[in-house]
Amino acid sequence: MRLYLETMRVSFRRYRAYRAANIAGLITNGFFGVVRSYVFLALYRERKVAAGYDLLDALTYVWVTQSLIMPVLMWGWLEIANTIRTGDIASDLSKPFSYFGYWLSRDLGRTVYHVLYRTVPTVFLGWVLFRIQIPERASTWLLFALSLLLAVVLGFCIRFLINLCGFWTTEVRGINGLALVALNFLTGFIVPLAFFPPSVREAVELLPFAGMISIPLNIWLERATGLEAFGLLLQQALWVAVFVLLCQVVLGAATKKLVVQGG
Amino acid sequence: MDSLSVYARLAWAQARGQMQYRASFLLGLAGVFSTTFVELLAVLILFRTFGQLAGWQAGEVALLYGIVAVAFGLSEMAGDGFEDISSLIRTGQFDRVLTRPVPPFVQIMASQFPLKRLGRIAQGVFALALAQRWLGLDWTPGRALVLLSAIFSTAVVFVGIFVIGAALCFWTVERTEAQNVFTYGGTELASYPVHIYNPWLRGVFLYVVPLALTTYYPALYLLRKPDPLGLPGWLQLTSPLVALAFFAAGLLAWRAGLNHYQSTGS
Repeated sequence: MRLYLETMRVSFRRYRAYRAANIAGLITNGFFGVVRSYVFLALYRERKVAAGYDLLDALTYVWVTQSLIMPVLMWGWLEIANTIRTGDIASDLSKPFSYFGYWLSRDLGRTVYHVLYRTVPTVFLGWVLFRIQIPERASTWLLFALSLLLAVVLGFCIRFLINLCGFWTTEVRGINGLALVALNFLTGFIVPLAFFPPSVREAVELLPFAGMISIPLNIWLERATGLEAFGLLLQQALWVAVFVLLCQVVLGAATKKLVVQGG
Repeated sequence: MDSLSVYARLAWAQARGQMQYRASFLLGLAGVFSTTFVELLAVLILFRTFGQLAGWQAGEVALLYGIVAVAFGLSEMAGDGFEDISSLIRTGQFDRVLTRPVPPFVQIMASQFPLKRLGRIAQGVFALALAQRWLGLDWTPGRALVLLSAIFSTAVVFVGIFVIGAALCFWTVERTEAQNVFTYGGTELASYPVHIYNPWLRGVFLYVVPLALTTYYPALYLLRKPDPLGLPGWLQLTSPLVALAFFAAGLLAWRAGLNHYQSTGS
């Protein structure tokens, strides 16, 4: 356990060294937040509520999702695939720890960094510029924290699986490009799932991707409270369990296949 | 003219190289098409719910969106080489560029020609087709020219942003990530009618990085919409000149950067 905590700590510190990169990312996330906010301000000129969202909900959706890009979506993360390509994976696999656990703790360390230095400032910016909704109830914060943790682990598992494709093909970058469709669209990132046509929406809300953005968002917005929120957390937890298991199975198959060229 | 033929040959070699890896090419193409297509889908989903955006119908926004998407796709194909210049400078490989008998600008521009960006262009063409289907616009040669010039002018402005970003690398070495605000951010912003934004944001994209001039005004002309911003009417057709002026500013920045360049010596 100490080993994993130490891995987390090192990973956290590694990211903290790139302050300029984070500020640039913050500016980009914030800029998109501003543009998308104006789109919703224009859309809501003619009506008060749409698909259960009022203007404040929509603006909050914009900024909360912008703030979750780095912790949860983390586009184009191919670190493991790169170690497969270079062969460094051989030494990682021979180290005396769980390979999955090692990368998960690395990613959690990174996530802690990004929640503190990306999510918090982005949400703050949204509040300063557009007075977005900040939960007041302590129970909402607790539920959101749990939901975010599950979302992060789910996001990591999906990225882990994409990276493991590197064992079978050199086209991981292309596969990752295709996966972006699911990550951006089916999570409710580029448009809230609530706006989807009802029949499509019901199906999409059951998929694992909803657990990455849509569920934490609905908890933040207090669109789901009490028992309903618990149900959503349970749904997330079930998908996390499925995906952690899937990661183990695929990793097992992959390492059985691994042949390392000497030298 | 000589530079142009060198560029054409190098870019063609790039393209042929990518075609050798057919699976990789097709996968990249499918990835770019589908990730950009869902962005269009998201816009359409919003229109399904709201019906209109500040007086614009779905088809009208699709026209604007299509102009921006095709233009940005073209500019990515032409300008991707400038995105990599930071690593060339850091590793000292840029010295080699300077020793060759072809202008560095042409070499860098020809160093990348990513065919997979055709996916974004195809998606933009799809948006334009949707606009045509929903709006039934009438086309004369003159109006077609306005559409084409809007697309090319916008692409020229985007390439200009890439060039300025690359030129800055001669001072900063590291790529200035803030340029994403103008490339990807500019794409997002210009995909919607600019009268929805607040004045300073609009001002930046009209007068500093003139993406709004090269997209919004030609679109107003094609849609026969009055200009809610009340700028002079001739402005609607100046986009090619404005784009060329912006690109010229990029070239000046590039030249200044080259003069400032000192090898890292590694």
